[in-house]
Amino acid sequence: MEQFVGQIMPYFTVAIFLGGVTWRIWRWMIPRIVHNITLSPFPGTWTAAVTWWVWQIAIFWNILKFDRALWIGAFPFHAALIAIIGGHLMGIYTLGLQFHMIAPLLVTADLSVWLSDLLGTTMGLVFLVALLYLLYRRFTVEKVRAISSTSDFLHLFLLLGIAGLGNYMRLAPDAHMTYLEARTFLTGLFTFNPVALPHNAFFMWHFLLVQCLMIIFPFSKLMHVFGFFWMRWMVNRPYKEWAPGMPGAKVQLSK
Amino acid sequence: MSTETAKGLRQPKRANEALFRTLGVEPVPDDKKVAEAVRHLDEFRQKLRSFVVIMENCVKCGLCAENCHTYLGTKDPNNIPAGRADLIRKAYKRYFTPQGRLFGPLVGAEELTLETLEKWYSYFYQCSECRRCSHTCPFGLDTAEITMVGRQILFWLGIGPQLHTATAGAILKTGNHMGLTKAGIIDTLEFLAEEIEEDYEGLKVDLPVDKPESDILYVPSSADFMLNPNTLKGAGMFFKWVGANWTISSRITEAGNFGYLMDQTRIQREMVTRLYEECTKLGIKKIVWGECGHGWRATKMYVRTYSDLPGVETIPLTHIHDEAAALIESGQLKLDPTRNSKRITLHDPCNYVRACGHCDQMRVIMRAVTTNFVEMTPNRERNFCCGGGSGILFDDPAMYEYRILASNKKAEQVRETGAEVLCAPCSICKAQLYPMVKEHKLGVEVVGLIDLVGHALVFPEE
Repeated sequence: MEQFVGQIMPYFTVAIFLGGVTWRIWRWMIPRIVHNITLSPFPGTWTAAVTWWVWQIAIFWNILKFDRALWIGAFPFHAALIAIIGGHLMGIYTLGLQFHMIAPLLVTADLSVWLSDLLGTTMGLVFLVALLYLLYRRFTVEKVRAISSTSDFLHLFLLLGIAGLGNYMRLAPDAHMTYLEARTFLTGLFTFNPVALPHNAFFMWHFLLVQCLMIIFPFSKLMHVFGFFWMRWMVNRPYKEWAPGMPGAKVQLSK
Repeated sequence: MSTETAKGLRQPKRANEALFRTLGVEPVPDDKKVAEAVRHLDEFRQKLRSFVVIMENCVKCGLCAENCHTYLGTKDPNNIPAGRADLIRKAYKRYFTPQGRLFGPLVGAEELTLETLEKWYSYFYQCSECRRCSHTCPFGLDTAEITMVGRQILFWLGIGPQLHTATAGAILKTGNHMGLTKAGIIDTLEFLAEEIEEDYEGLKVDLPVDKPESDILYVPSSADFMLNPNTLKGAGMFFKWVGANWTISSRITEAGNFGYLMDQTRIQREMVTRLYEECTKLGIKKIVWGECGHGWRATKMYVRTYSDLPGVETIPLTHIHDEAAALIESGQLKLDPTRNSKRITLHDPCNYVRACGHCDQMRVIMRAVTTNFVEMTPNRERNFCCGGGSGILFDDPAMYEYRILASNKKAEQVRETGAEVLCAPCSICKAQLYPMVKEHKLGVEVVGLIDLVGHALVFPEE
């Protein structure tokens, strides 16, 4: 089991993830944008259109404006998720020295590790709390539950499992993992020279659930990460208006 | 179609099979409907990117619910935009995605059935394609696109409301929704010219039809000939004031486009084709559109991709509001706003503000032609639909009741402004708001915007 999860399955997981995402996007690219369905007020230029998309992503503007109760959960959830993904990449790769590497004069190596721990723990907890809030909302708000299918709940439970195990490893001394243990294991995977999973059942489950998430990713609504851009590309784009002024009329626009 | 399956669903009266045959559609028998619908879904999946992206990216956050007037009015989960799209999405998942084929209901996939098609007919004709869901959705997912796909497929199966289908039939016969003949059009316009002469101290306004060598083609809503004559008079007075060489065409006396609302292939194309044919025939240099929300979108945003005639790239196309606003802004239109001095509010038609970019023009005009203008909340692109959008102006009792429910939000908005006059520059809005005002006992007068311009214009003779 451990050998499969740690040394064999990851290669299939990554292949399914990358292949699946490519396939899904390929499918979106086959049909055409038949008509101009841009929403007005029209952005004047492509720069304005893209700025609007970025604004939407940066603070979830529409959710903030139209459903404050959802924003309280959705924004911290996604912000923490980004921080956590970044933290996993940077923290494990640099063994917690990322802040020292970015600003060596301002941050000592020890301080960097401390910061990395602090941020990781905080974001992990924020993520967990926001996740519980969203789950609670999906169960209790009637209009949301009415449009949810089982998989909508399962996604949240899966994330709950991943985040719960991650937080437990951070906070419970007997389950703790060092950056070095994780890096050694991952280096093996990335260099196609897989080594055994660290002896930590919590880590194995954490790692297994993340792989499950990556496998279902291309076959679920989680693709909304990419879908956002594909939809905004259609509904927020410049439109050039015909100029006013009536040919042949006695009164002509004075300009 | 048996009535048993339709039990408990709010559905408009159906058009009969003979009517569909006149529109080139052979109604599909019940036992073949589901298979045909799936085949059409597959076509759309391969043809229309908006459809695929909307089907595959909704996260069911539920934000759209409280932002849709139909859900606010009915509290029916199938009227939540995400829930309404799910009527198709469930089948889409079942037939076109691996997860749906493998896991079925677990991931919200479901076989398409006749019962579901009945639900399509009920709920896609409760949606007004107002795009407020798209405006508020974090991703911009546009449920109006799904409603359009649903209605198109139903049309091809031979399922459609009597109102829409008969109107589409009238387009093929006469080029307008009301079935007006050329003689009828000329008659009405002569009558209106006389009315203007009486009301405005002998002002002589020419309302020409099919006049050759015209520069401007004005396309009014055919409803203006019957329900909103003041809009037509206002436009005529506006053209008179600016001294335009203009005409109305009897082959396309229709600013609306019911094809866009139920058959975006044959019927919608017919309308845009007629439009540019008439331009060539009458020597038109510019098209100016009348007050109609969906029709303006169907024209402004769709002619480029629907007409096969080269005129779409060379003959400019603007709305009469664009023209009036531009003249007001340049200070050339002489107006007396005190003639419209009652407390007045503006209802922003959905297609103007969320699909055609008309927020500013309407306000430039309002401020110039009235003295007591008050905004309703929310307004501009955040405004709510009147409840009649996309032509769901049904008169059969269950649907009429629905129309009034769907206008609850609008009535609340209007009441809060304390206005005496409600300006709604769109034929469908007007047709919906007349009964809305009555049923909600609002006691306001419903007018168009160009009506007010005509009324405020100061002519040199005066």
